[in-house]
Amino acid sequence: MSRSHVTLPDTNVPFPSAAAGGRSGEQALIARVLDGDRIAARELYDAHVTRVFRLAFRLTGDDERARELTQDTFIRAFSQLARFRGDSALATWLYRVTLSVASNLRRKYRRLERETDLTAVADLATGGPREADPDLRDQMAAAIDGLPEIYRTTFVMHDVEGYTHSEIAGVLGVAEGTCKSRLFIARGMLRKVLAPFMKE
Amino acid sequence: MQDDRFEQPLQDAARAYHEPPELDAPTRDAMWEQIDARRAHGVSSRAWWAHPWVGIAATLIIGIGIGRFAPFDRGAPATPATTTVASANTASPLPALYEPTTSQYLGQTAALLVSLPAETHGGRADAQFISRATNLLLTTRLLLDSPAARDPKLRSLLDDLEPVLAQIVRLQAGENTTDLDLINQAMEQRDVMPRLRTAAADLSAD
Repeated sequence: MSRSHVTLPDTNVPFPSAAAGGRSGEQALIARVLDGDRIAARELYDAHVTRVFRLAFRLTGDDERARELTQDTFIRAFSQLARFRGDSALATWLYRVTLSVASNLRRKYRRLERETDLTAVADLATGGPREADPDLRDQMAAAIDGLPEIYRTTFVMHDVEGYTHSEIAGVLGVAEGTCKSRLFIARGMLRKVLAPFMKE
Repeated sequence: MQDDRFEQPLQDAARAYHEPPELDAPTRDAMWEQIDARRAHGVSSRAWWAHPWVGIAATLIIGIGIGRFAPFDRGAPATPATTTVASANTASPLPALYEPTTSQYLGQTAALLVSLPAETHGGRADAQFISRATNLLLTTRLLLDSPAARDPKLRSLLDDLEPVLAQIVRLQAGENTTDLDLINQAMEQRDVMPRLRTAAADLSAD
């Protein structure tokens, strides 16, 4: 279950707290933003937008929705920035906002999307939809889409985007052990989807 | 529990899952412009009723409702001899029972229409906004079927608002800006907002 199981994709974007000059630099930047400095706001945006957008795209799978989610995340973050107390890194707080906004958008688009629940994942494992769509990659993508949100978020953040359990736990506000358990369950569900293909 | 056979396919799946495109500078700048503009206009996640215009619009429209309908109910309509809007006083009286609902409805509808540009992004509106529009559409249809619609001015307004609200409700499934354009066109062609302002001005002259 370690991170070494997964060859991380192009997550060579640094965790932005360092890019922004450390926690003290971060606090100074936040203070400038709260003073109404638009250049500082743009600096904050530039420091974090790539990671936020990447996470947004992984969660939505759609360019337009990812941009909408990214924009809404920053709008909400700027409007609530005064409430940020610095208990965690700004990036951690920002990803928390991203997930919250994503959850709202997910509800918004629920009617428009094919929702795959646990039963559907089980159906995939039994081979039901396999005849209709035999492509493994598509099956896996559908299975990941169909994971319950808490498992999907954990899987996407850890195995797809390369966040550490510590980072994910900070973002989700759960214990690291909970995070590991969720990832274990998520991977177990996905293995069920893979199993019929591995027998061939 | 671990099975190495699954690791490579899982890695592949993870790598391929919703692989993000490169965030190029134009896209980054375009998103920032949207964010900066929305911040400048004070559009945030705060509750819709916290926006200043809601109070203004609600006050305005409730004033219209009270000003228009209260005299009828008293059976002694104000009859300024010089007014140019005397036609309003030829209307059937609005039953007192419907006054609060009508006033509330007019205020909420005005607030919704005023907020339409800010609440729609890429031709879509969020679920809360759509829910408000749906409730107002239902109220519109109930009022149209009620004795309140005996007032010709109110009926005319309800007749015009009904298709506008119906189109707003459709924005929940909108994939482009066409529906929004149609709404704006309908509002312009029917002079919905100017008529509300004119009505307010007429009433203030009574």
